Amino acid sequence: MDQDGTSNSNSFSNRLIASVEDLKVYFHSKKGLLHSVDGVSFDIVDGEIMGLVGETGCGKSVTARSFMQLVQTPPGVIAGGKIRFKSKKTGNQIVDLLSLTENQIRELRGERIAMIFQDPGKALNPGLTIRAQIAEVFQEHRENDVFEKAKLSHVLKGFIGVVLKKYMRQETNLFIRLLLFFPPIRSYKKKLDKAIDKLVTEALAETQIPNPEKVMERYPHELSGGMKQRVMIAQAIACNPDLLIADEPTTALDVIVQARILDLIKELQKRHKTSVLYISHDLSLVRKICDRVAVMFAGKIVETGNSDDIFKNPKHPYTKGLIRASFMTHERGKLEEIDGINAT
Amino acid sequence: MQIKDYIIRRLMILPFLILGTSIIVFALTRIGGSPIGIYLSHEMNPAEVQEMKERFHLDKPVPIQYFYWIKGVFQGDLGWSGVASAPVVDVFPKKFAATMELAIAAGIVAVSLGIAMGTFAGARRNKLSDHIIRVVSVSGASMPLFWFSILLLIVFWVWLGWFPIGRSDPNLFEAIAHPTGFYTIDAVIAGNFAAFKDAIWHLVMPAVALGYGATAIIARMMRSSLIEELQEDYVDAAKAKGLAENVVLKKHARRNALVPTVTVIGLTFGFLLQGTVVAEIIFRWPGLGRWMAAAVLRGDQATIMTYVMFTSILFLIVNLVVDVIYANLDRRVELGD
Repeated sequence: MDQDGTSNSNSFSNRLIASVEDLKVYFHSKKGLLHSVDGVSFDIVDGEIMGLVGETGCGKSVTARSFMQLVQTPPGVIAGGKIRFKSKKTGNQIVDLLSLTENQIRELRGERIAMIFQDPGKALNPGLTIRAQIAEVFQEHRENDVFEKAKLSHVLKGFIGVVLKKYMRQETNLFIRLLLFFPPIRSYKKKLDKAIDKLVTEALAETQIPNPEKVMERYPHELSGGMKQRVMIAQAIACNPDLLIADEPTTALDVIVQARILDLIKELQKRHKTSVLYISHDLSLVRKICDRVAVMFAGKIVETGNSDDIFKNPKHPYTKGLIRASFMTHERGKLEEIDGINAT
Repeated sequence: MQIKDYIIRRLMILPFLILGTSIIVFALTRIGGSPIGIYLSHEMNPAEVQEMKERFHLDKPVPIQYFYWIKGVFQGDLGWSGVASAPVVDVFPKKFAATMELAIAAGIVAVSLGIAMGTFAGARRNKLSDHIIRVVSVSGASMPLFWFSILLLIVFWVWLGWFPIGRSDPNLFEAIAHPTGFYTIDAVIAGNFAAFKDAIWHLVMPAVALGYGATAIIARMMRSSLIEELQEDYVDAAKAKGLAENVVLKKHARRNALVPTVTVIGLTFGFLLQGTVVAEIIFRWPGLGRWMAAAVLRGDQATIMTYVMFTSILFLIVNLVVDVIYANLDRRVELGD
């Protein structure tokens, strides 16, 4: 492991896309240090759907957020461990996500690693149109594509190019906005907007949203929960990432929409050969969709294996309890309780 | 509902609201007694007093007096100001321009500084800069205007002599024409840089004094609502897209944090208008506030009526503007009833 976070250690097998090693994330709270994630290790094989299950508060989401350095520090502390990730775009270079600088991780966020959040109603900005929110991904990561699509590659160099690039990166100030408002730059800007429109429509169409051109102009509150989650998915897969993190993507949705969203994720995963880290507390969902499963309890992984094996043949007592507690629909009786331990 | 339809509907209701306000205000001022005193002098005999009463229709019942007043308003006659010894309509425009110039300058100070300070502090929660801004804004919200104004006066006029008081240097003021009555704008129109600088220089102290309290309120509101917005999931989602910290803050969080702040800004405007009375007296600013204070002390009802009507109309308009901005920022707001 050298200074800039790259390594080619032997333990990172070729078929992996990411590997979490002994991850420790603690939180300062009024009661003391909370060991939210306490030595978690698991691998994600390239092209698989990896499930991460466990009860609420066991550290699943914190683990997922650590992939993108989205854990707020403070109060959080990354106390140790590594998350190694193979970036396919940059020649299979292996990086440690935890030791990347802000700018380095920003290049990966939304581009190589994307995330679908639990509640699409909260994860979309209520004040911006769907178009504006998806467009940001392209503006940030697909600058050259947009310029090419708008047939504007020739102006990239020179003053107009500088202004347009600022527009794409949303680094506008009053002066730039004035320039963009007046010809000739105004017409270039319109061409760029049209190219972005096209990309956004395509991304929305991927998720089988009817009438993407119309949906694009809407605000989040005008869409149903299922539609919003489709928008989130469109936004996440816009740049065709290597790893998609789905943090309980169906929890906020009703059962029928859940099934459709699940099918959609599975289908997109197959088509794009994306690896997925699927986080859920719902065992039946995980069994349906995941190739392999890691069971998490109180900040630790208690069991990892193929999902069929784990469900048929759980080894750890917590996993057994979890499965018994969830598959009670066919027989009426006392609901199984699981004894917790004090996580602190 | 479309914003345009909404504005038209509100503007159509506006005259009725103004009429209603005028009835209430007229009744309330007349409760304080007949305004005849301001028109009389010691040398008048009872017959002359009676003649004055008849001339101003003060011998009639109050509802009839109101109709004479409203008739006068439609004919462009707002009554005689005893304090200014001139018709109200002649004095009002100049004083109005002076007060608006002050209030707008203070408003610009308050809104730009308040939002900037609030954003800065909210994004750096619990850091040193946040604490400093909080101290500044708490003191702004708690210091009485007259006291802060006098402090400024002592430090910057008496001790340092950096800023003058009053509205203008008379020589420079006389040197240019005054088509709008706004000294700064007139100076720009006249192309007289010395006059413009003079106008700005005279504006600084009263505008800062008047705007400070509002700045504090806006900054505190902006800070707390920005902190709230920064906890929202969509901020994390925006970061997860790979956006720069600055874009997340300005395009995503700040925009939504402005929604409650805009409401506060609308309310603050009333605060500013109240403040003009104190600020104008202390800084010798020849505006409506000072005129109004004198009119209240001497029972000059024509002036009081005009001033109160003017502030209520201004309030109605500001509220309408705030509603429209609000709907523009928060798309979930349905403009209706």
